[in-house]
Amino acid sequence: MADIPEGSVTILTNGICREQRKPSLRMASGVPNYKIILCGEYGVGKSSIFRRFLNNTFVQDNSKKSTIGLDQCTRPFRVGDADVKLTLWDTGGMERMSFIGSSYYRGAHAALLCYNSSNKETFTILSQYILDIVMNAEGAKIFLCGNVADGGDGKEKVEEADLDSFMSECGDVLSGVYTVSCKDNWGLDEMFQDMAKVLHMDAMSRMTIRRDLIRPGETPELDDEAHGKKKGCC
Amino acid sequence: MDEKYDVIVLGTGLKECILSGMLSVDGKKVLHMDRNKYYGGESASLTPLQDVFDKFQKKKTQEYGRERDWNVDLIPKFLMANGQLVKLLIHTGVTRYLEFKSVEGSYVYKDKKIYKVPADEKEALSTCVYCILPGISICARDKYGALMGIFEKRRFRNFLQFAQDFDESDPKTWKDLDPNKSTAKELYEKFGLDANTQDFTGHALGLYLNDEYMKGPCKFLLQRCKLYSDSLARYGKSPYLYPLYGLGELPQGFARLSAIYGGTYMLDKPGAQIVYDEQGKVIGVKDETGAMATCDAVVCDPSYAVEKCKKVGQVVRAICIMNHPVPNTKDAQSVQIIIPQNQVNRKDGYYLAIVSTTVETSNPEAELQPGLGLLGDVLEKFVSVSDLYEPVDDGKESKVFITRSYDATTHFETTCDDVVRTYKRITDRDFDFSRVKHNTDDSGQTQE
Repeated sequence: MADIPEGSVTILTNGICREQRKPSLRMASGVPNYKIILCGEYGVGKSSIFRRFLNNTFVQDNSKKSTIGLDQCTRPFRVGDADVKLTLWDTGGMERMSFIGSSYYRGAHAALLCYNSSNKETFTILSQYILDIVMNAEGAKIFLCGNVADGGDGKEKVEEADLDSFMSECGDVLSGVYTVSCKDNWGLDEMFQDMAKVLHMDAMSRMTIRRDLIRPGETPELDDEAHGKKKGCC
Repeated sequence: MDEKYDVIVLGTGLKECILSGMLSVDGKKVLHMDRNKYYGGESASLTPLQDVFDKFQKKKTQEYGRERDWNVDLIPKFLMANGQLVKLLIHTGVTRYLEFKSVEGSYVYKDKKIYKVPADEKEALSTCVYCILPGISICARDKYGALMGIFEKRRFRNFLQFAQDFDESDPKTWKDLDPNKSTAKELYEKFGLDANTQDFTGHALGLYLNDEYMKGPCKFLLQRCKLYSDSLARYGKSPYLYPLYGLGELPQGFARLSAIYGGTYMLDKPGAQIVYDEQGKVIGVKDETGAMATCDAVVCDPSYAVEKCKKVGQVVRAICIMNHPVPNTKDAQSVQIIIPQNQVNRKDGYYLAIVSTTVETSNPEAELQPGLGLLGDVLEKFVSVSDLYEPVDDGKESKVFITRSYDATTHFETTCDDVVRTYKRITDRDFDFSRVKHNTDDSGQTQE
């Protein structure tokens, strides 16, 4: 958009304000925006998920050119009576022969960890990705997403039992588990809607905890601010 | 590997990443390699802290808070808020990947005087005299620590106003000075500025490392003063910006730009080596397994083509970990200190100071002593001397285009100059900032 530079200015002032801000509940103006990063092996369909999110299209052939110049997209969602936004980040294909780099993970509220359900290798490697996420994106919620895709080329499928055993091992680090098909376009809207809800509820519950921490004698500005309408956090 | 590329870029330092990004945006097929496992090369920020100890081959004898809270820049620099790098970040959309913070303050010490650019007007009022121009507030003290006299203040204000209005292409703003012929010294004399104010202007505003500039054309000084005040005007607090997680975020941002425009990334290639034909023209790059990618041209930092570079100087840098801020002491000589008191490790009560200078003697560490002395107790010190290289030729024959080493200046203006020059050498075209218009909203989706 035309005012990208202004955007960066906002970030700046936010950064400064955050430090000087009284422990009040004054919220950053605007709708809460949650950053979600796509993670997972090269070729599991991360860009397909991104493209569905971006403009609900699906590209059959594997030409990378179709996402050129785009790796980030924001969409509005409605959670209860609140407006929220999700910003989805694609890797830009950097993981193909290399590492994504730590800056990709910065400030992520969530990671959407993807595997190809017809290729077990992309599933067994997930724990490594979880480690990466926990290390680089502190506090990010992790969601698991199995993409039903063809192109397994006779590779072993991911069975229910595999998923079950994975869940019992690392179920507690996962905030949601989904199965989608980018090709047939099912499960995606529900997934994003659910993620928006989980992320927003979590942010709100943390606000509640903060509310309890307000020192006596200080008037919380909550009532004037929220006034029955949107509740969010930055 | 085993593929043909238009350009292979070696090293993921900031300059190489900007060039890689711009070339990918131009539609070139780019392969970008680095011998290290991390992005950034010389301009990386090391994390966790253990990596810093490993790099300098030191043993860590105590813990310094949480390892991953540290992002230690190997080469400390700031972005001028209105400088070329910021323009580049905005035009390419790379700003979207980064978060910035306004730098809290910068100090210049010279000949026992301390010049502090106040973080805000209140600070300026309480500690020093200040003059206000549209968007600029400045403080200065004379050598006895007293405030700048009222007449000097007025002269200085006139000078700043002139610098602000100065336009190289409009002789009407020159006030019968020839910006190309008159020296900076003559400019000072014209405005009747005394020696203290001259020092202050040259070092705190112009950010010159020594007084050589006084003999050169005054237009450079004017440009620098203007950049400073424009930068300050932009955010009102400090003219400097700094990426929230260290400078290492910058190369990564541009690498990402390159990748989404089709660039391929390969890190951890310790054996990357340029291969030439009999005429000395580049044909490709080989890795440690012997596999080769062919290309029309190579862009690299000096470390990948040492034989095509000459040494032009040295910079010594000391990275210091402390458990207190830099005390407000006196008695320093001609040393410039940048203190990026890293916001990320503040909460543990640790501070990071980086002292650097251009080497002039055979005992570089001693040259830092005046600066180091200001820091007070230092828990851990990492000293390194880096050679400064520049390419011996323009690379047009061999098609190997080499960037220069990062100098001791405190901001990225010379870095960007080199990028622009190298880009022109590669493409025979001027670097046009406006060519890259990053569109975040192709989708028709709503975005505020």
